Amino acid sequence: MFMSTQDSAGKRPATAEELASRPVRFAIVGTGGMGGTHAINLAGSPEAEVTWLVDVDTDRANKLSAHIGGKVTADMDEAFSSGDVDVALIALPTGLHRMGVEAAAKHKIHVFCEKPIARTNEDAMAMTQICKDAGVTLMVGHVVRFFSEYMRIKEQLEAGTLGDIAMVRGSRVNPPVMERSPWFADVEVSGGVVLDLMIHEIDTFRWMFGDVERLFAHGLSFTDWHTKRDHAIASLTFRDGTIAHCEASWAHSAFRTSIEVAGSKGLAKHSSFDSSTLIFEPSTGVEYEGIGQQSKQFTYMRPVVTPPHLRELLVFIDCLRTGKPVPVDGDEATRTLIVANAVLDSMRENRVIEFNEDGTVKQA
Amino acid sequence: MTTSTVKVAMLSFAHLHAVGYATILKALPGVEITVIADDNAERGQQFAQMFETQWVPSIDEALAMDIDCVVICSENVNHKPMTLAAAKAGKHVLCEKPLATTVEDAQEMIAACDEAGVKLMTAFPVRFNSSIVALKDAVHSEHFGATLTVMGRNPGTNPGGWFVDPALSGGGAVIDHTVHVVDVLRFIYGAEVTEVYAQSGNKLAGGVSDDTGLLMFKLSNGVPVSLDTSWSRPSNWPIWGGVTLDVIGEFGVLFANAYNNNYDIAETTTPSYTWQAVEHTGDPEMVTAFIEAVRNDTDVPVTGVDGLRALEVALAAMKSAETNQLEPVTQA
Repeated sequence: MFMSTQDSAGKRPATAEELASRPVRFAIVGTGGMGGTHAINLAGSPEAEVTWLVDVDTDRANKLSAHIGGKVTADMDEAFSSGDVDVALIALPTGLHRMGVEAAAKHKIHVFCEKPIARTNEDAMAMTQICKDAGVTLMVGHVVRFFSEYMRIKEQLEAGTLGDIAMVRGSRVNPPVMERSPWFADVEVSGGVVLDLMIHEIDTFRWMFGDVERLFAHGLSFTDWHTKRDHAIASLTFRDGTIAHCEASWAHSAFRTSIEVAGSKGLAKHSSFDSSTLIFEPSTGVEYEGIGQQSKQFTYMRPVVTPPHLRELLVFIDCLRTGKPVPVDGDEATRTLIVANAVLDSMRENRVIEFNEDGTVKQA
Repeated sequence: MTTSTVKVAMLSFAHLHAVGYATILKALPGVEITVIADDNAERGQQFAQMFETQWVPSIDEALAMDIDCVVICSENVNHKPMTLAAAKAGKHVLCEKPLATTVEDAQEMIAACDEAGVKLMTAFPVRFNSSIVALKDAVHSEHFGATLTVMGRNPGTNPGGWFVDPALSGGGAVIDHTVHVVDVLRFIYGAEVTEVYAQSGNKLAGGVSDDTGLLMFKLSNGVPVSLDTSWSRPSNWPIWGGVTLDVIGEFGVLFANAYNNNYDIAETTTPSYTWQAVEHTGDPEMVTAFIEAVRNDTDVPVTGVDGLRALEVALAAMKSAETNQLEPVTQA
């Protein structure tokens, strides 16, 4: 069903020893929003080198190359067979992730794949198996685990400061992205706001509280509104009894996140907006984009010492160099995706979904 | 319209909202707190002294007095016997929420008041809050467009006492905090809840009652809603809790935070840091509306049926939290 993982040229994945001896060489596949961010972060790090920028839109890739260097091609096989790529960073639209990961695995190249790992659970499982069979390391970019505020709260949970956790609320809101990237408006292709944003809360809460036992969701993804606005709310019950409320939105005017964790011994919360350290409020009629989070209404920022998107890649590089397991492998990302797809199924079919202990969906 | 004094009997101070209501009544012109009836002598005498009135141990004594109406702030299970007694005595009733702990009890209360020709008002002050009144106008304006989703929260500190004894309260956080927001949504949209999914827990306090609740429901106008009813605020939280509604609309988002008009104060004594009300609206408007309905013999703005409708949602939510299924909400 998928391309052979046999490698006629007898190539093998870069070894830990090799990668520990020099900067790790990345091919950035897809130079849109996320690919561009990763490329710029990696180019600025002594631990990495961006050797290739792959994009069917070579104009876009050339513009990026003018800033940070790297060879440009529209053909990822050209980059992967060049001999100077250790890691393929897949930042394509979600539906193309499998194609990119399969191609990299075929060339025995390690893979960092943007989230969500895939649109369908079947693709995610296949991609995970392909990488295992090829002997390449796969990490999926569930970056919220690398945001300082979520790391601090995770530390509090592990220290037991808050006692038994009863309720957690997570919110991630954004302006409607389909105005800039129309492919998001097709929920069958993109998975809508749930696979773009709510998957972060699902993954982060799985990281904090373990596996989900049941869920129920409401949302706009399967209504006539979804091409203009998308918004979803979900109730997740974890196996440890924690009840979670998740909100994801493409209906707000600026990007904001928040988390609140309530336990028997206390409560912790964080809001990206409440913790801003610089706010720009434009005067009437001024359209301004530039400081921190982009918005025409106002902008705000918070200090970031190590950008989370760089932090996750530095952890990935460290895992490649030491042989340590990556924090979010294909199996972990697949479990998160299964829950996210169940949220979509719940809102489409207006039904409660239960999970088996192995993370699969219980058949009704 | 008559200018005569409206005479009120306060029936029980078990629910401390009674203190707020009595404070408002005391300040209203043309209103007299004639008597406080409370089977807890110490409590009854304490508040009788505070509000400069008399205390009697039984509601029968109070109902035999020359009064026009009663304000019931007892344990939830006692709402019914007190309401039935007041109706029998021909006294109008303002009853604390939830109206009752079962649908049958609420129906019996409504029928008894109807038959006796007395007014029955459920104490839902949040729909009188100025931000909620403004929210109602805003969501129906053309600038807001269609309502797409509502996220409500009524978190608070754990009230303890009889609130956490289901035999007296009828439940826990779900029955306590579902009804306010459901009433507000019925007030804003004129729609009923059709089905509810809920999860609850008791991990915060580890008691027999639930202390954590999350409802997901749909209104008859198609709007999906989530509602957090948890007593999730720690005991040293700077304020008792609050009521918030995020309304996602066609052309924007409305954020209501009905009890956010506070000032922060840090004291070097305990409690060290609190949020104190600058002005919280809702309670005075609600109490005044009841008194004026009694004084002028007009309809009460919130009825017993309104109390029943909100209770039905809370009870269906508690059932859903047991079955883990979507439960229909039927209007009795």
